[in-house]
Amino acid sequence: MTDIPNLPNIDWKDPALAVRLKRRNGKDNWLCWAGLGALGAACLTLVILLASLLVSGLPAFTQTHVTLDFEILAEKVPADDPGKGKFRTIVRDAIYAHFPDITNRREKRALAGMISNGAQYELRDYVIDNPDLIGSTVSLRVPVSDPYDQLAKGLIDPQTPEENRRLKDAEIANFDALADKGLISKPLNLALIANADSRFPELAGLSGALWGSFYALLVCFLISFPVGIAAGIYLEEFAPKNRFTDLIEVNINNLAAVPSVVFGLLALVAFIGWFGLPRSAPLLGGMTLSLMTLPTIIIATRIAVQAVPPSIRDAALGLGASRHQVVTGHVLPLAIPGILTGTIIGLARALGETAPLLLIGMNAFITQAPDSVMDPATALPTQIFIWADSPERGFVSRTSAAICVLLAFLIVMNGLAIYLRKRFERHW
Amino acid sequence: MDQITIREPVVQTQPVKATARGVDVYYADNHAIKNVDIDILDKTVTAFIGPSGCGKSTFLRCLNRMNDTIDICRVTGDILLDGEDIYHRSVDPALLRARVGMVFQKPNPFPKSVYDNVAYGPRIHGLAANKAELDNIVEASLRGASLWEEAKDRLDQPGTGLSGGQQQRLCIARAIATAPEVLLMDEPCSALDPIATARIEELIDELRQNFAIVIVTHSMQQAARVSQKTAFFHLGDMVEYGETTAMFTNPEDKRTQDYITGRFG
Repeated sequence: MTDIPNLPNIDWKDPALAVRLKRRNGKDNWLCWAGLGALGAACLTLVILLASLLVSGLPAFTQTHVTLDFEILAEKVPADDPGKGKFRTIVRDAIYAHFPDITNRREKRALAGMISNGAQYELRDYVIDNPDLIGSTVSLRVPVSDPYDQLAKGLIDPQTPEENRRLKDAEIANFDALADKGLISKPLNLALIANADSRFPELAGLSGALWGSFYALLVCFLISFPVGIAAGIYLEEFAPKNRFTDLIEVNINNLAAVPSVVFGLLALVAFIGWFGLPRSAPLLGGMTLSLMTLPTIIIATRIAVQAVPPSIRDAALGLGASRHQVVTGHVLPLAIPGILTGTIIGLARALGETAPLLLIGMNAFITQAPDSVMDPATALPTQIFIWADSPERGFVSRTSAAICVLLAFLIVMNGLAIYLRKRFERHW
Repeated sequence: MDQITIREPVVQTQPVKATARGVDVYYADNHAIKNVDIDILDKTVTAFIGPSGCGKSTFLRCLNRMNDTIDICRVTGDILLDGEDIYHRSVDPALLRARVGMVFQKPNPFPKSVYDNVAYGPRIHGLAANKAELDNIVEASLRGASLWEEAKDRLDQPGTGLSGGQQQRLCIARAIATAPEVLLMDEPCSALDPIATARIEELIDELRQNFAIVIVTHSMQQAARVSQKTAFFHLGDMVEYGETTAMFTNPEDKRTQDYITGRFG
């Protein structure tokens, strides 16, 4: 052994060393616990958020209905055109029939208010579908109006002073009378998915918002996916590295961080103001969202392309592959899992985006689901925004329910991203 | 007078395949190759040796224009393949690289089947008219790379599933599938164990019947074993070029002698 000069003489048995080691291990532990604590706090917050959403949203997944016998009298419903029938009167008569004692006009009107305004239309559609029912009596389950729905769900407390609640004592008594006859039921609220928006909470549903979001995301995907991949591949594989491409790169990174409301303003000025696209249309919403998704997809593409090992490129180039053959045959197949993940995460963000859609009018009150990308529509987040803004009691739980639906879609999309990544990932 | 040693005359037994005259390579401001002249003989193994960073790999990559893919790299001077300037405007690098095959340091099979790996070159250049022809090319290439016996039952399995030595022979099969005239090998054995290395070296000796082979190696023993001609590079200069036996027994330049006797490098 040669003696190396200037090396310190270390006594590994020195107790001071043990103390230092203990302090170092202590710091390790501390870091570990701090991380666990942060994780725990995050999980707790998430659980509280989800629990509060579920608790307040659960009532909206059922809807109180009342089963009534409707007399479809031939003189009220013309057989040649059942759609013109006086169903409003038929519905009222059906509820009056249960309370023959009530003759006072005001009380009768209050009684009629127990049935949802949508009942007459449900009855009408039912009779139009089955015209041979005219002249007979139909037993049908129709929704009750919102205050009674709240009462049935226990959200209106009969113990509060009469002047402080929506329903008077007499109205509650009427409802209880029907309940005693076993006519009140609380089935799953299919209207929440099947119906479009409505003024009446008991009729309001997410159908319009779901289709609006679907069309908007479809447009967003069709624009941003090909353009984003093309731009990302070009910048990574073909573009010369100079000041101009540096500038583009910086700008793309900046665009990804621009507040979404700015894109909404841009869409308002450019798409609506200059190009004259129809406002509130999913086409416009999708184009606006694609402005936000594009930088995300470009960045995801570039990162995925960078992660393709250069040896694969060399191998293909060394065999005389041209650059497009290298890209389409080797780089893209290896990069596609990363690109897909980035795309879906970008789309999931776009699905939850509200601000730009507010600016282009996708928060309008629209009672019909869109049939195409050109029809006016709302989107899920803007529907939540509209409902959160509505004063009716029934919209409180429906807002939470809509958030649950939105979250469910986000979870499904992120799950899909993970699945696709695992499915297409290639090992080498 | 019995002390006279007669130095073996340098006999060029094969015609010249590739010629470099006054080649300079710059990476931005870094002068990586300085005025290199060399004649590479057909059906001969030429070894490039030299310490790390001396430019031997860089010069190798000039021969099939792989340096084109590096933006900051600039090549001047003339490199002729069969008397034709490969840096001429009319030469397409894609076709050139089919004629001048390359095997890399690390085995780099595509994440595809063994068959698709070998068939890739013929496919992109349209060398096979039908499936049967392609099958023939694949088999001939795998036989040429002495991998056929091991791989014939697993042609549809991923090439990345082979062992390191097999992967490198797969890469050689892939490179010779386009029937190149020159085969460039950039330290083909540096990632392999001694047994796999021995097989590749045997293979190189067999392949010499068909191609001009240029091999970059860090191992002097390997250069001595496989090559007939050796070029010694140092700091971007080609210091010495000659018969391998002569170079290793009786180097002309002091730097060559120092390097092969292990005094630096």
